Amino acid sequence: MIRVSPPSPSLLSPVTSRPPLLNDLTLKSTWSHRAWLAGGCTTVLISLAKSVTGAADSHIWLEPILAGFIGYVLADLGSGVYHWGIDNYGGAETPVFGSQIEAFQGHHKWPWTITRRQFANNLHALARAVTFIVLPINLLCDDPVLLGFVGVCSGCIMFSQQFHAWAHTTKSRLPPLVVALQDGGVLVSRSQHGAHHRPPYNNNYCIVSGVWNEILDSSSFFEAMEMIIFFKFGVRPRSWTEPTSDWTQDSETTSVESK
Amino acid sequence: MASISLHTSLTLPSLLHTQTPKPTFSHNLSLLSKSSQSQFHGLKLSNSSHLSIPSSASVKSSIVAKVTEGTMPPSFTLKDQNGKPVSLSKFKGKPVVVYFYPADETPGCTKQACAFRDSYEKFKKAGAEVVGISGDGSASHKAFAEKYKLPYTLLSDEGNKVRKEWGVPSDLFGALPGRQTYVLDKNGVCRLVYNNQFQPEKHIDETLKFLKSV
Repeated sequence: MIRVSPPSPSLLSPVTSRPPLLNDLTLKSTWSHRAWLAGGCTTVLISLAKSVTGAADSHIWLEPILAGFIGYVLADLGSGVYHWGIDNYGGAETPVFGSQIEAFQGHHKWPWTITRRQFANNLHALARAVTFIVLPINLLCDDPVLLGFVGVCSGCIMFSQQFHAWAHTTKSRLPPLVVALQDGGVLVSRSQHGAHHRPPYNNNYCIVSGVWNEILDSSSFFEAMEMIIFFKFGVRPRSWTEPTSDWTQDSETTSVESK
Repeated sequence: MASISLHTSLTLPSLLHTQTPKPTFSHNLSLLSKSSQSQFHGLKLSNSSHLSIPSSASVKSSIVAKVTEGTMPPSFTLKDQNGKPVSLSKFKGKPVVVYFYPADETPGCTKQACAFRDSYEKFKKAGAEVVGISGDGSASHKAFAEKYKLPYTLLSDEGNKVRKEWGVPSDLFGALPGRQTYVLDKNGVCRLVYNNQFQPEKHIDETLKFLKSV
């Protein structure tokens, strides 16, 4: 069972109160965050190592590499679906996902704060999920192709929050390699993700490479899912309503990011 | 009467498919001058010389009366946004655009309603009336019409009875009420059927184009 760490006091206050200060505790990494990050990274590395050694033993290379590539591509799709779900449904009181939903809501109001989160703080929630899911697979599975897929997919998902943070960072502050990867479409670009942060906040949900964004948006995939959920369960997604002040970007506090 | 039943092709590949209509039954294609399968991104079933020939065993014939080009739709009386009963026969003598939509206050339906509103003068100029129908109640229609200042009639098809009688196909394996528009001529005969779930503004373009051409 995934334990949700108790929210710090500032997360209990309404989102509309104030933006996090630059040295706010909520942006800093704790040892718990670092432990989960280490756990996530270890399970991903074990998965990849087992895949490589298994591939070498079986003298196969193409299939595990292809499986890894498919993992990278599907991680982008998974990031989009998860992001769409978290952005549109539930709230702070939702079991398991509540703190993430609240964090995403805060992110929409103050997008730039993600660039101020310390590394483990930013990634720990995904690292925790990856640890729980990938560890049993590592223990039960020896197939290099499956492990190649799992290793790359889970690695991309875990690091998607870092890719997301880079997509909010100004070009001048990014390492040249990251800029090259964004421009090359390997990582989600700043402009593509920027489109997600404009009303009506209902597109460009994918945050690994963004390769799925165009096809998901042009095919109205998420609109279709929203309509089905509405007709089956009577629940409207957040994006259907005029954005409330809890959601819309607080333009007064973007000065940090404006350079 | 026996009619070719046209089912929406609802597989995921078709969700991602491009605009080209894809006929999925080839047996009787030669008997019809133009026919294609309903799909997400636009299907016009318009046909001026449509032959509705009793189908062979290989094509399903529907047991529910369906409105297609050249047929007379079944009449109905439904409540409008003010709770007043309105009959289809009220519109005889002029063309009428009857558009079935999933629900009030959903993004696609709002876009469609506003597009009909914005082009309403063009429809009036063509001598046509516009009527929107969904399963929502009068109160919902009233709020929707007032919020978006819709100048035309919205009818409440409670239980989706008329939708079923007219044979409006569902989308996504029946999970979603379909978005289909019919243009009836001044004698009440259907002349155009247009289906497109996710490009709602196209309903306005297609129906206006048709009205201008007749």
